[in-house]
Amino acid sequence: MKLIHVLSEALRAMLANPLRTMLTMLGIIIGIASVVLMLAVGDGIKLFIDKQLSVLGSNLVIVQADSRKAVGARLRTGTVQTITLDDAEAINRLPSVKGAAPMLTTYSQISYGNDNTNTQVQGTTPISFAIRNLRLAKGIGLSEVDIASASRVAVLGKKVAEQLFYKNDPIGQTIRIDNQSFQVIGVLDNEGQSFDSGDIGEVVMVPISTARVTLIRTATPRTVQYVVVQSKTTEGLNDMVADIYDLMRDRHRIRAEEPDDFRVVNFGEFAKTGEAIATGLSIALGFVGAVSLVVGGIGIMNIMLVSVTERTREIGIRMAIGARPSDVLWQFLIEAVAICLVSGIIGVALSAGVASAVSSTGKFEMAIGAKAVGIAVVFSCIVGIFFGFYPARRASKLQPVECLRYE
Amino acid sequence: MMDSMIVHSAAGALVEITDVRKSYFSNRVETPVLHGINVTMQRGDFVAVMGQSGSGKSTLMNILGCLDTPTSGAYRLAGVDVGAQSRAELATLRNRTIGFVFQSFNLLKRMSVLDNVALPLIYAGVSRSASRSRAQTQLDKVGLGELASRQPNQLSGGQQQRVAIARALVVDPPLILADEPTGNLDTRTSNDIMALLNELNRERGQSIILVTHEPDIAAHAKRLVRLKDGLVLYDGPAAEGLRQLRTDDNTASASEVSQ
Ligand SMILES: Nc1ncnc2c1ncn2[C@@H]1O[C@H](COP(=O)(O)OP(=O)(O)O)[C@@H](O)[C@H]1O
Ligand SMILES: [Mg+2]
Repeated sequence: MKLIHVLSEALRAMLANPLRTMLTMLGIIIGIASVVLMLAVGDGIKLFIDKQLSVLGSNLVIVQADSRKAVGARLRTGTVQTITLDDAEAINRLPSVKGAAPMLTTYSQISYGNDNTNTQVQGTTPISFAIRNLRLAKGIGLSEVDIASASRVAVLGKKVAEQLFYKNDPIGQTIRIDNQSFQVIGVLDNEGQSFDSGDIGEVVMVPISTARVTLIRTATPRTVQYVVVQSKTTEGLNDMVADIYDLMRDRHRIRAEEPDDFRVVNFGEFAKTGEAIATGLSIALGFVGAVSLVVGGIGIMNIMLVSVTERTREIGIRMAIGARPSDVLWQFLIEAVAICLVSGIIGVALSAGVASAVSSTGKFEMAIGAKAVGIAVVFSCIVGIFFGFYPARRASKLQPVECLRYE
Repeated sequence: MMDSMIVHSAAGALVEITDVRKSYFSNRVETPVLHGINVTMQRGDFVAVMGQSGSGKSTLMNILGCLDTPTSGAYRLAGVDVGAQSRAELATLRNRTIGFVFQSFNLLKRMSVLDNVALPLIYAGVSRSASRSRAQTQLDKVGLGELASRQPNQLSGGQQQRVAIARALVVDPPLILADEPTGNLDTRTSNDIMALLNELNRERGQSIILVTHEPDIAAHAKRLVRLKDGLVLYDGPAAEGLRQLRTDDNTASASEVSQ
């Protein structure tokens, strides 16, 4: 018997009792949808983390003041100013450090002509561009000369540039930041969320020296809010963090029994937490999927056994006119597999719907990949073969004369 | 087609059963039904099997149709030792050698008339399109060519039985087995079906074994086999057998009257 013939027989049998077929398929549909979503969530979170890291640059930590810990006589509350440009420079000189960028940030009103917007302004140094993977769509970045001379220049995030200039070229134009004039020298190419400033497209970057003079009042002329530090290697990240602790405690003259007055935030840890959450969610969905597939499979087996009984006479007729036991076995096995495959396809469609609904919120991107579809197809077939085999075998072992007597 | 033509022309008896016995077992209790039957049938013969209800006619037909196995005894069908065949080989043997016509038609629901007739060819490994065109030809021959796309339940009993006959003939098997094919039909339709079988036997030399209750139906056959309690009571020309049958019946009713 040819496969197309067996398939069309399977389809005919499925359509003979559509409601029952539908109900039978439900377990497999949910099972396959869960498995596919499990993979999509895992992939989505990985994608999300990778994207974060590519915006962040990888192997980054932030060193910032920690006033909660800086108690006691050494510092009066309110005058915390533990991180300075000199700290940043000292960190930058550590052998394990690739670069350390001091940061001063504030929210300011940016305007050009009649258009204005409120967004984050970051005062920083050229090192920032290198260690945070910042690329320029147009123009140039900040230079050491800009820092030294506190020049009034600005590099715009992509979205800020679009908001103020539409499709016009912003390079060389003068914008106002908190009513101070700045000349636009570059536009960033990066997109996505960054750890310290939200959407990287909505950031304006200026020399840290200029920021201090024009935009941000600091407790002392050398105070910075935080320092972004990148290690030379991924493996060296933890050693680098230890080096920073030693250096900072030494520089701040913190005695052994005293707590730190700063902290080091490791974004690699965030990524790990994210991955752990993803794994947890995947395991939960995988469990739901596995349970649904087993329950669904038992449902298939049950309905196939009922179907074999109901069609006993049909089996007898087929055997009388020449169906071999193997023909009968294939007929029922293919029917079970077909039910599972159709369920699998519906399950994939269902999960694709869920994924696109989740993606459309814009917070999390979920994609159903070819791998997930492949796995769904393979899993449906396995469930169909596993749970369809026993009923099919039973049908094939029936005696033609008894089947023909069956009413 | 080639296979069955070779079978048709092969020498020797088409059907040869020797001392066939059959017992049914339920809860280890043996119920003997056939007590040693010997029948030989040549190609082109038309045999009617008669006997009272429960005399073992259907049991014998199931054995002849390779649907059931005898408890003891030998069966050669078209030169093949049936007892030595596996289940799969028996299926192929049925497919190539026997066409079944049942009392209750036994067409498959949810399948068009054409697909029903084509199914034996599908099991014989013939392609879908070739099966369909041969099935259509066969339907045309039994006069139902126009109903090919109908579902079986949209047809009258007589039409369904014609479809079943078309299905039985489609692989051109050497032997047709019909167990009370007119049992569910009225007299006029029965006569049509018998005329069709008669024509097949006369014009194509189709071998037929037919079970019936009715002497009028049996009268179409060349030869009569009468069973009684699992034994052959008569085996010979139909005309002579039917005459004896009438005499027996008269004696039986006379003795009933006298009691
Ligand atoms: N599967 C079976 N199990 C037990 N007894 C059976 C079975 N089939 C038939 N019989 C018995 O065998 C006898 C012959 O039956 P059957 O061959 O159907 O007779 P007929 O077709 O001549 O009416 C009957 O007594 C019947 O009850
Ligand atoms: Mg009977």
